[in-house]
Amino acid sequence: MSESSKSSFVYVTYIRTTPQKLWDALTKPEFTRQFWVATWQDCEWKVGSPWRLMAPDGRVADAGKVLEIDPPRRLVLSWRNEFKPELREEGFSRMTYLLEPEGDMVKLTVMHEIDRLKAKFIEAVSGGWPLILASLKSLLETGQSLEATRQWPKDK
Amino acid sequence: MSDKPSFVYVIYIAATAEQVFQALTDADISERYWVGNRLQSNWKVGSPFALKLKRQDGDITGTVLEVDPPRRLAYTFHSHHDGLEREGPSRVTFDIEPQKDQVRLTITHDEFPPGSRVLEHISRGWPLVLSSLKSLLESGRVLRAPWYEEADAA
Repeated sequence: MSESSKSSFVYVTYIRTTPQKLWDALTKPEFTRQFWVATWQDCEWKVGSPWRLMAPDGRVADAGKVLEIDPPRRLVLSWRNEFKPELREEGFSRMTYLLEPEGDMVKLTVMHEIDRLKAKFIEAVSGGWPLILASLKSLLETGQSLEATRQWPKDK
Repeated sequence: MSDKPSFVYVIYIAATAEQVFQALTDADISERYWVGNRLQSNWKVGSPFALKLKRQDGDITGTVLEVDPPRRLAYTFHSHHDGLEREGPSRVTFDIEPQKDQVRLTITHDEFPPGSRVLEHISRGWPLVLSSLKSLLESGRVLRAPWYEEADAA
C-alpha cells in the first residue's frame, strides 16, 4: 500500500500525569464517560478482543478489535463507525495510542489511519479527536473535563 | 492534502477568548508556558515581532501582520538558529473562537518552502507550547519538557 492511498490523522498532546493514569483514563468507563461524550468502551483489553464504543443510549457508535496492547504504553485498535452508513462503508481504520513519559508529563500520540484516499471517516475523526483529547487533558490536570464533552451530542 | 506544506493544530481551552489572546501576546505570560522563550512586540500591524530564545542564539523574528483582539493574531516567523535563517520567513496565524465554556484555538503555520526544516521544528514545538499554554490557563501550572531543555543545551 503506498502512502498516497492512505488517509491519516495524527495528534500530539502533552499531559501532566503518569502513563498508568492516562492509560486508565483512556480505557475505563468511569473516566471516559467524563471526557468522551458520555461513552464507554466494552472490551476485555486483550489481543483479539472485540472492542465497542458504546453511546449512552446503548447504541454501538464504533466497533473493531484489539490488534496490539502493551499497557501503559501502546494500544492499537481496528475501528469502524457503526451508525453512519457513509463512514461504515469505508471499512476498518486503525487507531494507535502511544504513551511516552517525559519528565512529569506524558506525550500522548493518537494516530488514526485508513487505507483509502480522502476518507470521510478520517475527516470526521480529525474534527473529533482534538476536543476529546483536550477534555481528557483537562480532566487529568484539573479534575474537570470540558463541559462540552460531558454529554452525547443531541443531534447524533 | 494541499501541495503547499503547512501545520494546523487545534486545541480547546477552558478559558475566555480574552485570556487566550492575552497569553498569546503578553511577554511575561509567554515566558512561563513557552519553555522560557519570551515574546517581544508592541502588537501593532507592521511592527517587529520577536521570540527571544532562552537556550539558543538567534531569536525568531518577524513582522506583525494582523491583530484583532481577542479573535485573531498573525505574524511572520523567521528562524535564525541552527542554520535555518536561509529559509526565510513563514507565517503564523492564531484564530480564537469562543464556545460557551471554552475556546477553540487554531494555529495555522504556513508559507514554508518545499522540504522546510523549520516545518519539522515547529511541528514538534507547537503541540508542547500549546499544551503548556492550556495547562497554565486551566491549572496555573506550565509543563516542563526534558527533551526540549536537553536538546537546546547542546
